[in-house]
Amino acid sequence: MVRAVHYLNQFFAGLGGEEAAETPPTRLEGPVGPGRGLAAELEGIEITATLACGDDYFAEHEEAALARLLDLLQAEGAELLVCGPAFGSGRYGYACARLAATAPIAALTAMHEENPGVGAAGAALVVPTAVNVAGMRDALPRMARLAEAVAAGRELGHPEDEGYLPRGFRRNRHAEETGAERAVDLLLSKLAGETRTEVAAGFDRVPPPEPVPDLSEAVLALVTEAGCVPQGNPDRLPTIRAPGWLRYPLPDEAGLESGRYESVHGGFDVTLANEDPNRLMPLDVARTLEREGRIGGIHDAFYTTTGNGTPVAASTRFGQEIAAELRDAGVQAVLLSGT
Amino acid sequence: MTAWELATFSSDLLGDVPELEGVDVEIVRPGEPVRITHVLDAVEPRARPDGRPAFPTEARAGEGRTNRLDGVTVLSCLDFPAEERPLHEQESLVDMGGPGADLTPFSRTTNVVLRFRARPQASNEELEAWARRTTLDVAESVARPTLRTDPVEVERFELGPADESLPSVAALVQLSDLGPLYYQYVYGVRAAEAGLPRAIEPAELLDGAVTCGEYHWAALRNPTIFFQQNRLVRTLHDEHGKRLRFAGVVLMRGYEQTAGEKQQAAEQAAELAAGLAADGAIVTTDAGGNSHTDVMLTCRACERTGVRTTVIVAEMADPESTSPGLTDWVPEADSVVSVGNAEETVSAWRPERVVGGDLLLDGTPAAEAGPVPVRNYLGATNQMGQLALTATTW
Repeated sequence: MVRAVHYLNQFFAGLGGEEAAETPPTRLEGPVGPGRGLAAELEGIEITATLACGDDYFAEHEEAALARLLDLLQAEGAELLVCGPAFGSGRYGYACARLAATAPIAALTAMHEENPGVGAAGAALVVPTAVNVAGMRDALPRMARLAEAVAAGRELGHPEDEGYLPRGFRRNRHAEETGAERAVDLLLSKLAGETRTEVAAGFDRVPPPEPVPDLSEAVLALVTEAGCVPQGNPDRLPTIRAPGWLRYPLPDEAGLESGRYESVHGGFDVTLANEDPNRLMPLDVARTLEREGRIGGIHDAFYTTTGNGTPVAASTRFGQEIAAELRDAGVQAVLLSGT
Repeated sequence: MTAWELATFSSDLLGDVPELEGVDVEIVRPGEPVRITHVLDAVEPRARPDGRPAFPTEARAGEGRTNRLDGVTVLSCLDFPAEERPLHEQESLVDMGGPGADLTPFSRTTNVVLRFRARPQASNEELEAWARRTTLDVAESVARPTLRTDPVEVERFELGPADESLPSVAALVQLSDLGPLYYQYVYGVRAAEAGLPRAIEPAELLDGAVTCGEYHWAALRNPTIFFQQNRLVRTLHDEHGKRLRFAGVVLMRGYEQTAGEKQQAAEQAAELAAGLAADGAIVTTDAGGNSHTDVMLTCRACERTGVRTTVIVAEMADPESTSPGLTDWVPEADSVVSVGNAEETVSAWRPERVVGGDLLLDGTPAAEAGPVPVRNYLGATNQMGQLALTATTW
């Protein structure tokens, strides 16, 4: 038997309605409320405990509520977490999604596809349901089937075939027509007034920070994604999809000397960059600004990676890690050169 | 408008490959457990009965008749000397078996594999020019036996009149010019010097006017054969007079290097499309990264001149993350064909034989490469829409 834990809000756990919405995380023995119906559907999976939390409590104390729920979950020694179904309830759906997304074990939840919780579920599986509780009878067997597939460690098929909402992973398949034929169809359809697409962007926008109050007092750091490394690439920085970033001491010289640094970036012609590495990391100009007193100083190390085919999630992590080091080192400004 | 005939001949007519100094020649057939490495280009064997060159540098393509050998591909392979690799040319494979075979059409053709051995003193640019010209010459010479017999099929390419009420559609074909080893050629002239943007007849594209010298990501590459067999031009040709009017082909530059030049290239291409009285345009992409910005700028410029667009791009999304897979995007790009995610990995396959060089660029034995990213398979996510691969959201 696979041990599973079920998560419910105060209402479905039978603790009360809105008056009980401030209930902090609580453990109940075995399946409760809809958990009983779910348990009846499950084969090879036992719901050993139910965790419940008031919707308002979760919304107002998210961090504390999550931490407590995760502690309770760990104490159960469960291999699977099932949350909801939350139907169209936004607060409940969000709590289900956050817990499922954060749990260190396999997790799935269920809610209406327009529930704002869907966007918070991350890699956790979300079973689509009706918008209200009338869809309970339909939702439970579908949650059970997916739970069994996950518990068995089976590789999941396409979301439509397995009954979960797409999570945003892109997977290849062979279409019936070539890309050219599909392009002609899409264009003719657009010209006829119906615009469709096979891929949408979903880019985030980073707001510019406040200006540095006084550059002449600020320590400046040089950071680059141009793949600039000491000659010979001693730490084998990859030319594409670097898994991390590197830190190297900056020479106490007027600039980066040709022949002592190179770019290993695989996405542009590095000939000119290698002729004069200052074109990638302008230490020469920075030293001039330092000498003239226009900047307070230059941080004694530079940070580098190859920004080429790097997933946004990885770049975000690099940025956070580098920024944390620079902040701790008292750096106030960064010159980030991109390619 | 002139007519052009494409005559198809059986692969049985594959002619002998002449002895070439510094080149190992091997024929690899479908189903053989072979991995072909360091592939630069793929070319369909072609010859002209009137004696004009199959890949003209002076006379015009797309006139008269051209013979093609069906089901045969000439593949050029060259491992450039590593210490002189300014653009870090990318790994490029063709698998004749295993899961990677589904990703390239060359697993289903009889391949004349030319392995060019790097001469110690030659520069990369010299080696590249030698390999490129020799490959086109070989593709022409192995098609010569077709000149002595009758074809199995003759197709005629001529755009007749079409109903004025049908929407007019142009193909905007982006060609790279980024630096040595990263050039596409128009009538033998690199893209930056070929007077782009430039409108050409659809048949010119199919008839060897554009050849490949661009060796960026293998999956995102436009090898010569994909111009010769161009699905986009053929589809638009087939639909001419039925669902649309084919307005023409515009060759445009990719990889301009400054923001201003990129914007200008996009605007000029859009003006040319508007000048062809196109209601809509399909914008294709060559290579990746920087050129994805060019395609998005072109899309925006077209929409601003009133030419509605659909763009074709490959995605480069980490299969384990939900990060967007597009390198660049503009809100005007609301109609996008995805030809697949180049970053997905293909499970490991152990070929019995490797042709083209035993070691991959990173030094791994090619036979034991382990899982291979889709991006390393020649043409797998071709951004002219040559193949059927796509990506969907899971």
